[in-house]
Formats: sequence, structure tokens, C-alpha cells
Amino acid sequence: MTRLPPLSIAAVILATLFLGDIVAADEWGTIKGKFVFGGAPPSAGELKVDKDPEVCGKHKLLAEELVVGADKGIANVVVFVRDKDVKVNPEAAKAAAAKVTLDNKDCRFDPHVAFVQVGQDLVVKNSDTVGHNSNIATVKNPPSNNLIPAGGETAIKFTSDEAVPAQVTCNIHPWMKGWLVVRPNPYGAVSKADGTFEIKDVPVGEVELQFWHEKAGYLGEMTIGGKAEKASKGRKKVAVAAGGTDLGEILLAPAVFQK
Amino acid sequence: MRFTFIMAFVATAVGCGKTPPASFRLNMVQATKTAAPESGMEKPWSSWANDRQKQVATILEAMYGTPDAPVALAETGLDLAKLQLAAGPVRSDIVGRKNGLYREHCAHCHGISGDGMGPTAAFLNPYPRDYRPGKYKFKSTWRDARPARDDLTRVLHDGVPGSSMPSFALLPPAKVDALVEYVRYLSMRGETELALYTYAEQELGVDDTMPTTKEFLVDEILTPIVEKWQGAEEARIPIAAVPTTLDFTKPGDDPANHESVARGRALFHGDGGCVKCHGVTALGDGQANDYDDWNKVIVEWGKEVAGGLGASQDDAGRAAWLHAATDVIEGDALRPRPIPPRNLRLGLYRGGRRPIDLYRRLYTGINGAPMPGVGPSGPGGKGSVADAEIWHIVNYIRSLPYEFDGELGADRPMVAKDRL
Ligand code: HEC
Ligand code: HEC
Repeated sequence: MTRLPPLSIAAVILATLFLGDIVAADEWGTIKGKFVFGGAPPSAGELKVDKDPEVCGKHKLLAEELVVGADKGIANVVVFVRDKDVKVNPEAAKAAAAKVTLDNKDCRFDPHVAFVQVGQDLVVKNSDTVGHNSNIATVKNPPSNNLIPAGGETAIKFTSDEAVPAQVTCNIHPWMKGWLVVRPNPYGAVSKADGTFEIKDVPVGEVELQFWHEKAGYLGEMTIGGKAEKASKGRKKVAVAAGGTDLGEILLAPAVFQK
Repeated sequence: MRFTFIMAFVATAVGCGKTPPASFRLNMVQATKTAAPESGMEKPWSSWANDRQKQVATILEAMYGTPDAPVALAETGLDLAKLQLAAGPVRSDIVGRKNGLYREHCAHCHGISGDGMGPTAAFLNPYPRDYRPGKYKFKSTWRDARPARDDLTRVLHDGVPGSSMPSFALLPPAKVDALVEYVRYLSMRGETELALYTYAEQELGVDDTMPTTKEFLVDEILTPIVEKWQGAEEARIPIAAVPTTLDFTKPGDDPANHESVARGRALFHGDGGCVKCHGVTALGDGQANDYDDWNKVIVEWGKEVAGGLGASQDDAGRAAWLHAATDVIEGDALRPRPIPPRNLRLGLYRGGRRPIDLYRRLYTGINGAPMPGVGPSGPGGKGSVADAEIWHIVNYIRSLPYEFDGELGADRPMVAKDRL
């Protein structure tokens, strides 16, 4: 993508001569794409808000299990690099120093799907004026269920990755559902409202991606760049190029979500 | 095939005139739930799923034996002599000691496999504990931790008041010990089974078989399970010193406790969040339509399956899976029952009524149940109520059955004192 000045090209060549493939592997590329719904966007149903209606009833809450935008982009699809021993870019590794926040806000989880790395601080807070509890159903990490009073917060760290995203619920407000993706490295993403996602600084070469969505589970069938593909357990190998790899439009048929 | 043949032979050889040997039941809910088909499978789903179940059954039998002949792998740290005292049909040994304690005292409720589905179970509310996920409610350890041995011993000694779980205080300590060991054994077995299904769901392709190497079965599957059980003895929550402003030897309405009870009441209605579920009246009428984890699995999966059956299915494998799932939910699981928050005006506590019992319940919440904890979720964490302050809530809870007029007014509910 960015062109290197001639001098550094010479330096790279020199370094390659001496260090062989060590330097060659130090190239990174971004994987990106956009999830698109292969049908008329479904309308999200309104949630039944029967607890704390004076606070939660103000917000006209909608179901978030399948969020499709007007341009058919699918939000909240989870993509991550599955390879356990993948090399981590030192810049990308710095992301783990930042805190991830999972907020109980307007009687929903914000974000709906949060991404956190092993060892990274997850701050679960409550910006509402009513109490919430955050029941986190991790499998490899100890599950937890803490009460978080109005304005309060609690911090959690994970010691192991989770093979599939863990559900987060609030027992006080049963409509509240969220997800937590716990990965051993920064190489994962949750698609944005327009359906796009980006995983930055992945080592160049082949990696195995895994695709997951809360309603569909593992995404076993996708049409990528016009080509129908089967992905057993949502796994797909992709080649990461130094200039980045754009998977383009990833079309998901409505049937995938009819489970 | 060969395996079934051998079993049939053994059964006829020793079984003449006797009852057939008991066998463990597979966890059909998890076996089926984790075996959703992938599109375009070649083998019919049911024979594919059957093969996988057989692989799991064979592994489990090798690792844990049968209800009549338990196996205790060295890695589990389980005491085989104790297991043998508890396992098997009810009988007397050569010195007249009665064996088969689990089937004598527990199996009709908790089931031979510890699945909480003995013949009596369907008539009870709450249902007997299903030991297989390794989750226990009334214990002195961190919420996610396994119970320590003495936690289980205490449950057996006191029973679970307000449920059908009886007290076994009359059994001699050696027998209680054997039963505790057997409960741990059934849990480890159940967790191993669960771990195998989870592994298959996440890692195995359609054509793969379950690995049977020692590295896999012991190092990858068994060790993390055993570590949790062995770590339980050291996983106790810390107990804060009781503040000097309260006196548990005096009743809640004694002036010595006024300040503390007022503080407890404020926390109950405020930062503790208790009223959300237990209601402002503490009658347990706040959030009455939630489920505990054991029942929730069935509720959630039931919804998924019902939704699937509603949608059109053109994939034969998927249709077969959905029908099998329906059969399992109807035939291999108890009908889900909601778990209402406790009515705190009755003064009846399942996990024990001593202040320390209630402190533990509030600190970690009740594992497996919706009730959240107000203490930190692990060592070094931060809770929503300071440790020492939890004692004031305990004090308030203990005063609730006797609270006379409170703020409830003329239509206040009847409390224990009214009946005197
Ligand atoms: C009449 C039925 C019945 C019998 C007999 C019975 N139990 Fe239970 N048991 C229950 C019920 C019901 C519960 C669940 C109570 C609850 O969830 O509040 C339970 C819970 C338990 C628990 C879980 C406690 C916790 O902390 O989660 C253990 C352990 C247990 N029983 C062991 C045994 C053993 C061992 C025996 C035989 C010596 C036995 N039970 C006999 C009905 C029974
Ligand atoms: C999300 C709902 C919820 C919240 C919030 C909640 N509870 Fe509970 N509580 C329950 C449920 C459900 C049970 C019954 C659990 C069971 O039987 O396993 C329970 C049981 C109890 C018990 C009975 C324990 C026993 O041994 O029988 C006590 C005491 C209790 N809660 C006190 C509190 C207090 C004090 C608070 C606030 C700090 C609180 N609860 C907050 C749902 C809740």
C-alpha cells in the first residue's frame, strides 16, 4: 500500500540477505470485508420492557439478534483469526493496554458485541439510574454474575480465550442480551452498523478465519465475491497480502439466520 | 459393534437370575444440542450422531467405569474404596457392611447418573441437583469455584431446608464421606462428558472421530476439570470482620442493631439491587419468571428448536436433528420450572440460616441461579458493596421475618410474628 522510499527498500533487501525469512515474515496486511444480507432487510421487533418501565420504557428498545441496515449491511458479525500461534504485530499488540468497556446503558448492553483480549481489562459499568447485573457465561474462563448498582462499575480480566463468544445477560431485565468475544490476540473484529469489518496488521501469508453470528452460529455458507462457499464450522483460510486483503462483499442468505 | 457384543456376553454370563447391571445414561441434551448437522452431510444425521455418542460412551466407560464397577483414574485423585462403598446395588459385604449407599439414599431423586432425573424427580420443586455440570449452590468458595469437600458434607448433614433434599445427619461420617466422594465422581464424569461434546462441536469435522490418546483425554480434557475440584479447598471467599455496630446475639429490633439494620435496609433498596428481584416487600415477587442454569439450557434450546421447526427446512440432516432435539427435550429432560427469588419474610434459607451462611450467599450470589453477588467476582476484584457492609444486609435479612410495621402500611403482608 504505502510506497517505501528507495533507501528503506535497500535496507530491506540487505536485511533479507542477512536475516532471511525473519524479516520477510515481518510484513503485515489488513483483512477487510463487508457482510451483506441477501434479501429484504428484516425489521427488528420491539422488546417487551416489563421491568423498571419508568427508566427502561423510555427507550423503545429493539431486538438486536439480527441487525441489518437500510443498505443491507449486517452488524455484529464476529470474525477472528483462529490460528493459535499466529505472530502478533508489536503495534497491534499495544491495543491490549487499553481498557474495553461494556456499558449497561439505556437498559441494553453497549456495545452489543464486545471484543476483549486475554489479559486486557474489561470494565463492566452501569450508566443507567437503575441497578443491573451482568451475568457473563464464559466457558473456559470462570463465569461471573455481579450486581452493578446505578453508576457503578466492576473490572474483569480473562486468562483464557473463548472458542465461541460468551453470552452476557441481565437477570433483572430479561430482554438484555449481549456477547463477549474473548481472543488470545488482537486479530478479531465485530462488523459495524454498515456491515464492514477490518482486522489490521495480520502477518502476511495464510491464516484461518472463523465467522460467527449470534443468530446463525458458525457461518457455514457464504457467497464471497460472487462465489458460493462452504465453510465447515465457519472456518475459511485466506491469504493475507502485504497490501491487505479485501474479501469484498460477503453475502449471507436469509436462510442462514432461520434457525 | 465388538464392544456391544462383549457387554452382552458379560451380562448373560453373570446375570443369570439377577437384575441386569445398571448403566450410566448419556447426557442426551448436550449430546444432541452440540451435534447440529452441517449442510450437505453424506451420512444420515441420526447414524452419524449415533456413532459419535458411542465413541463418547466408550471413552467414559474406560475412564469412569460403570455404576456397579467404578474406575478411579489416578489423575482424578478420587478414592476408589470410598466410591465402591457408595456405588453398586444395595448389598452387604463380607463383614456385613452395607454397600450401595448412593442407590439406597440418593438415586431415586438424583438419578443413577447424577443427572437429577431419578424416578421421583419430576414431582419435586425445585428439582434435585443435576451434578453433571459441576455447579453447586450452597458453598464457601468463589461463585465459579467447585464446592470444597466440607461444603458438600454440610449439605448432606443439614439437607436443603425448604426443598425436598433431606438431611443425612444420621448416617455415620464414613458413609457421608463415601457419598461426598461419589458426588464428586459423578460430577467429574459429567463434566468430562460435557467437555467431549464441546470439543467435538468446536473442533471436529463431520468425518473426524473423537481422539482417544492419553494426551487428549487426560491432559486436555480431564486435567482442567480435576484442577477445579482440587483447587476448591483453597478457593474460599474471604470473610470480613463483623462490624462492631451490630450484634448477632440480639434480635434485629434490639436497639443494639437499629443502626445496622437501617444500613442494611438502605443497601437492600439501593446499591444491593435486591428489591429488583425480591421486591420492595421482600416477598420474592419482583422478578418471578427467570430460570436457573440447569432449566435455562432447556428453555433456550427449546426456543431455538421450536423456531427451527417453524421455518421451512429443505436440508434433510437439519430436519432430522430438529426432530431428534424435540424428542430429547420432551423425553430426556424435565419440564423447565422457573426459579422465583426467595420470599425473605419466611426466614427459611436453603443454604443455611447462620449469619455466615447468608454472608456467603450475598457475597458470591447463588451459583447457577440468577441471584448475583455483591462481593467481587474473584480474588483482588471489587464488589458493588464493601465486604464489611454485607454484614449489615445479613442483619437486615434476619430481621425481615420479624419486621413489624416497616413502611408497608396497612396492607403489609403477614409476617412470622403475626402467627405467634
Ligand atoms: C427426596 C429427594 C432427594 C434425595 C433422596 C436426595 N436429594 Fe440431594 N437434592 C434434592 C434436591 C431437590 C436438591 C436441590 C435443592 C435446591 O436446589 O435448592 C438437592 C441438592 C443436592 C446437592 C446440591 C447442593 C448444592 O450446594 O447445590 C447435593 C450435593 C445433594 N443433593 C446430594 C445428595 C446426596 C449425596 C443424596 C443421598 C445421600 C441426596 N442428595 C438425596 C433432592 C434429594
Ligand atoms: C436477579 C435477581 C436477584 C437479585 C438482584 C437478588 N436475588 Fe436473592 N435470590 C434470587 C433467586 C432467584 C433466589 C433463589 C435461588 C435458589 O433457590 O437457588 C434468591 C435467593 C436469595 C436468598 C436465599 C438464600 C438461601 O439460602 O435460601 C437470600 C437470603 C437472598 N436471595 C437475598 C438477596 C439479597 C440480600 C439481595 C441483594 C443484595 C439479593 N438477594 C438480590 C434472585 C435475586
